[in-house]
Amino acid sequence: MAASVFLTVNGKQCEVEAAAGTPLLTILRNSLGLNGPKYGCGLGACGACTVLLDGKAARSCVVSVEAAGRCKNIVTLEGLSPDGSDPVQKAMVTAQAAQCGYCLNGMVMTLRAFLDAVPNPDEKALQEALRYNLCRCGTHVEIMRAARIAAGLEQEEER
Amino acid sequence: MGSALQIFRKSLPPAGLVARADFIQRDEVLVQIDENGRVTAFCGHVDLGTGIATSLAQIVAEELDAAPSQVRMVLGHTDSTPDQGATIASETIQISSRPILRAAAQARKILLARAAELTGCDSAALSFSSGVLTGGPADQPALTLGDLVRGMTLRVELDESTPVKAPADYKVVGKNQPRVDIPDKVTGRMVYVHDVRVDGMLHGRVIRPPYGGFDHGPFVGRALLDVDRASVAHIAGLVDVVVIGDFVGVVAEREEQAIAAAEALKVTWSPVAVPDLSDPAEALRQNPYEPRVVLDRGDVDSALDAVTHRMDREYFWPYQMHGSIGPSCSVASWQADELTVWSGTQNPHMLQADIAMLMGLPVASVRIVRHEAAGCYGRNCADDVGGDAALLSRAVGRPVRVQLTRMQEHVWEPKGAAQLVSIKGGLDETGAPVAYNLDTSYPSNVSPLLALVLTGVVPAEVPEIAQMGDRTSVPPYEYANARVTVKDMPPIARASWFRGVSALPNSFAHDSYIDELAAEAGIDPLEYRLRYLPDKRAAELLKATAARAEWQPRTEAPRPDPADRTLSGRGLAYALYVHGPFPGKPAAWSAWVTDVEVDRLTGEVSVTRAVVGQDAGLMINPAGVRHQLQGNVIQSVSRTLQEQVTFDKGGVESQEWGGYPIIQFPDVPKIEPVLMNRPEEPPLGAGESASVPSAAAIANALYAATGVRFRDAPFTPEKVKARLDEALGPLKPVPLSPVPPLALGGEPAKPAMAGLGFKGLLRRAGLGTAVAVAGGMLATLMPWRATIAPVAPPVPGMFSPEIIAKGKLVAAAGDCAVCHTAHGGVENAGGLALDTPFGTIYTTNLTPDPKTGIGQWSYAAFERAMRQGISRDGRHLYPAFPYTSFAKINDTDMQALYAYLMSQKPVEKQPPVTSLRFPYNMRFSLAGWNTLFHRTTPFVPDPARSEQWNRGAYLAEGAGHCSACHTPRNALGAERWQKNYLAGGEAEGWSAPPLSALSDSPLPWSEGDLYAYLRTGFSPNHGPAGGPMAPVVHAMSELPDDDVRAIAHYIASFDTRQTTIPVQSQREQFLARSASLQALEKGEGERIYKTACAACHEGEAAHLYGARPQLALNTNIQAENPDNIIRILLDGAPDPAHQTATTMPAYRNVFSDRQIAEILSFLRRTMAPDKNAWTDLTGQVSRIRAQGGH
Repeated sequence: MAASVFLTVNGKQCEVEAAAGTPLLTILRNSLGLNGPKYGCGLGACGACTVLLDGKAARSCVVSVEAAGRCKNIVTLEGLSPDGSDPVQKAMVTAQAAQCGYCLNGMVMTLRAFLDAVPNPDEKALQEALRYNLCRCGTHVEIMRAARIAAGLEQEEER
Repeated sequence: MGSALQIFRKSLPPAGLVARADFIQRDEVLVQIDENGRVTAFCGHVDLGTGIATSLAQIVAEELDAAPSQVRMVLGHTDSTPDQGATIASETIQISSRPILRAAAQARKILLARAAELTGCDSAALSFSSGVLTGGPADQPALTLGDLVRGMTLRVELDESTPVKAPADYKVVGKNQPRVDIPDKVTGRMVYVHDVRVDGMLHGRVIRPPYGGFDHGPFVGRALLDVDRASVAHIAGLVDVVVIGDFVGVVAEREEQAIAAAEALKVTWSPVAVPDLSDPAEALRQNPYEPRVVLDRGDVDSALDAVTHRMDREYFWPYQMHGSIGPSCSVASWQADELTVWSGTQNPHMLQADIAMLMGLPVASVRIVRHEAAGCYGRNCADDVGGDAALLSRAVGRPVRVQLTRMQEHVWEPKGAAQLVSIKGGLDETGAPVAYNLDTSYPSNVSPLLALVLTGVVPAEVPEIAQMGDRTSVPPYEYANARVTVKDMPPIARASWFRGVSALPNSFAHDSYIDELAAEAGIDPLEYRLRYLPDKRAAELLKATAARAEWQPRTEAPRPDPADRTLSGRGLAYALYVHGPFPGKPAAWSAWVTDVEVDRLTGEVSVTRAVVGQDAGLMINPAGVRHQLQGNVIQSVSRTLQEQVTFDKGGVESQEWGGYPIIQFPDVPKIEPVLMNRPEEPPLGAGESASVPSAAAIANALYAATGVRFRDAPFTPEKVKARLDEALGPLKPVPLSPVPPLALGGEPAKPAMAGLGFKGLLRRAGLGTAVAVAGGMLATLMPWRATIAPVAPPVPGMFSPEIIAKGKLVAAAGDCAVCHTAHGGVENAGGLALDTPFGTIYTTNLTPDPKTGIGQWSYAAFERAMRQGISRDGRHLYPAFPYTSFAKINDTDMQALYAYLMSQKPVEKQPPVTSLRFPYNMRFSLAGWNTLFHRTTPFVPDPARSEQWNRGAYLAEGAGHCSACHTPRNALGAERWQKNYLAGGEAEGWSAPPLSALSDSPLPWSEGDLYAYLRTGFSPNHGPAGGPMAPVVHAMSELPDDDVRAIAHYIASFDTRQTTIPVQSQREQFLARSASLQALEKGEGERIYKTACAACHEGEAAHLYGARPQLALNTNIQAENPDNIIRILLDGAPDPAHQTATTMPAYRNVFSDRQIAEILSFLRRTMAPDKNAWTDLTGQVSRIRAQGGH
């Protein structure tokens, strides 16, 4: 049975109709037209659907819309910055950290949450933070460089 | 068309791989320049995330002398781009860019002539720079490309003789160019095919047949027996169920409705026996083939006879997956015999022809609009899902979006084929190779569009054979007597091309074999290769790569120390990827020098460093080439070390990432690219080459480290460990630090009224109570009980809001709704099936509906039921209804509960009738049962205990009826309170663990733990409330804090276990031991756990949402039997009690019995090492699976 759920997404209040237990991902994409989070596995294993729930990285394919409704704010890739100016997004462009880019949302959102919680990580910690975000193109080297830039471990020069 | 210059060509039949394409004669625009200076170039190949759009734009900008930013590439739309075949074999730059390159040069020539005309200058003196004319009149503003086009509408046919620039003159090509697509990808603006939304679009899902991952054979298209449309009739928003042959799909208004329908739809298939691929190498040996000799040099047979040192070897490569991160998706819109398909295809024009055939349409009536999709490195399900969407859209007459599930993508993507390469040869006395006789078996075709075979449009009985096993089948080394035979064979599992198609496995054999020859000859493997490598560029590359890696010559056989835990070694390999139909065209050259480390204890192989050289000729975008190289290295390390598709009786068993794990960040090697600078040489494909030598280099490094040859990929830890243990003897394991055992402290509590006889009761509670109890006992003796007359249903306002509110809390404490609500049903309207040892009992309707509920029940009738287990009509109620506990509820609470239940909204719903088998259907016999086991005694507090404890006891023993599940029952189903109170019982087929000192939990259950668990649904020291306990916690959320605290206080008094060190230290030590055990366990169970489970269960990181249950602390892992953990794996936790919990997916249709058994075995060994191993896990999973889910 569909019911109304109130969500605060990217700072905006919205009311959505959703059957009980519908994954947040489905609602974000289909009801709110937010394409940043991607469907990758539906099992919480790959990370492509990551969003921030009250600042924490969450896999929106395994969060029900009801649970999301209990959060003060849901932030998607689109809500990080209107123009790609979040330091993590900028670092991804600098490091050219995408091939197909399907996993990129998860990389950006997970790193954002991680750097907010751990502002000065070392390289090993960055690798561990991204361990459960899968990338098939093998863009790991560029993504790690973006992570180091965003964490202040490396300068932003073009290479 | 407004003002524009277009260069076009007459369409040509496409080169390269063409399946069923119809050739359409038309004019194809290659490059167009409009009056705003926008340059658009059209290419039939597509960007698969390789950055080809950026490089192609560079090429066009270069020849046109435009700025790269003013060039836009249009790739793959069938309406507007030339048919250049499938985007495969790294040939986009090498081949498909040539027409637009020349067209751009021609456009430049035309526009320069026009500039000369307009300015009066000599065209030879004019040129463009970043799209602006230079050398024109100094007194006029410089003309731009757009200015020159303005007012012009010109279509010019491509002149193949137009001169193009010499590489020495390049300004844009050969320079690093940032990718055009990344800014949009990093902000979510990029519209992937998954993001396409069309007006009026519906959502579809498909249901695939039981021959998972097989697309030919007598059963294909013929296995469907029945589709029960009634099974989905209840699903809101359902538009249609579409069935054509073995093609089954559902269409609904919303995506979640389509998902629900696909899950609920009952489909019956006939039993199907798929080919046995449990041993793929053997299956390849048995597969019929047609030999095709592609090289026959010298006299191989005589040479083989003369070999003094014969070396025959066999190399095996497993089935692998492309493993796109995004399951394929497509949108189709059918309108009046015209079809538009939005697709992420790699082969737009092939797909156009396939879909035209599927729909019975002329090719020209099908339009493919190509969008970016998840990377696919070959052929995934992108085409198939387009066919699915087309069929569904035609059936419903509206646009339909079809998203495949992760499982469907894993199972049905055409796999990278397994391959078996055997080499016969050997050395002479000088260590020189004498003969080289290679056979390679490659079972693949081009995988027909799935919908074509499912619907029967294309017969699937006998598959076609593709001659694709010959890529790089000719060895790069100059063996004087050499023969190469390609065994062309039909596919077994559904297969198609995958990065380095057949070349990677062929090179694995070539370059492992030459390494074996060198080792056998006692010659440095680099020197040995160079002796026989006639190709100069190859030799230069190999030397440059070895120099960067500081290669040290070696002639000795490796001598690993059997006592060392870590062995390390270095290996090298070389390959030239030759693509396209034999003899094919070479792409970039590649060489590897790689370092590996092997952990003897686990068998785990780490590639720590890869120095990878590549000669791609002119690099259009060197940054792009480097990224491709790195991507190839990482992906091929993953493929070599851990990737193999497993199969079982249902076909592909690897249905998600746990069953097919890929590399994770911490395992990525340090990569050092060595890019040869050859700007004067033609550009070569760089999309695959660097993957081709990977496996041989790693195998050779493994040999250098261990002295053992690995000839069958992947080099999994269990395989490596077993062979090294055999070769070097097992290594002594690391001793683990023990965790201090828990101690028992204090006297365990007893329930408040345990052992309280009549005299005791008289003493404690007084005469009135005792007499009432005695009367109750007498009453229970009577087998036949009177009907209590019906009363008029309650009217609103009959009870005060205060008493209703109080009653609601009693109902919450009693979790009435947990049992009296069917799954998905209305609260308290009954109908839940309770499985008991005596049969299935259906719960009753507790709403005040006069016909089907308790609307006609007086308070007297209600109280009698609650305290004595007698229904209003005089029938005995089964003690699954815990009236034995409810009898303890005091009068005030009982009255309030009645008021609350009677004030609910009546729901007319007749639950199924309970009918137990004989003798349990003889309800009157319950009188005897009651006499034996039931005391109607109301709760009497224990004066020796605190007020809080007694409050907890009242709630837990009475309304809360904890013991109903957590206390074992005797053979007649009575709770064994006297000696086994809270010693563990059963609920709905789940084990209800002991709450006493008998608990298996690694940490004692403290009051704080219990409070957190009951209040929030999660205890960090134990885990989440799962199974039937989750709804109990939901129900209890109404209870005031004090009451929950009191229950926790009371229950905690039964668990007298204590840690001998602070609990936090015990917890840390326990988790640390589990972590060290996990670090020593590498194998399939570990891989599935680390990939499918660990993302939610490992680590307690501050930046991650959710409860993150640590499984090592979970009672169910420590329990005697694995039932609970099997149940939760099969059916998940769709509605967790915890407020910030993620839902746990149900893996019933994801994991095989064997896979679940592997996970459980791993968890038990590493998290409960003190407990007995669980036995026959596969059988146990199978048994519980057969019981069905909720």
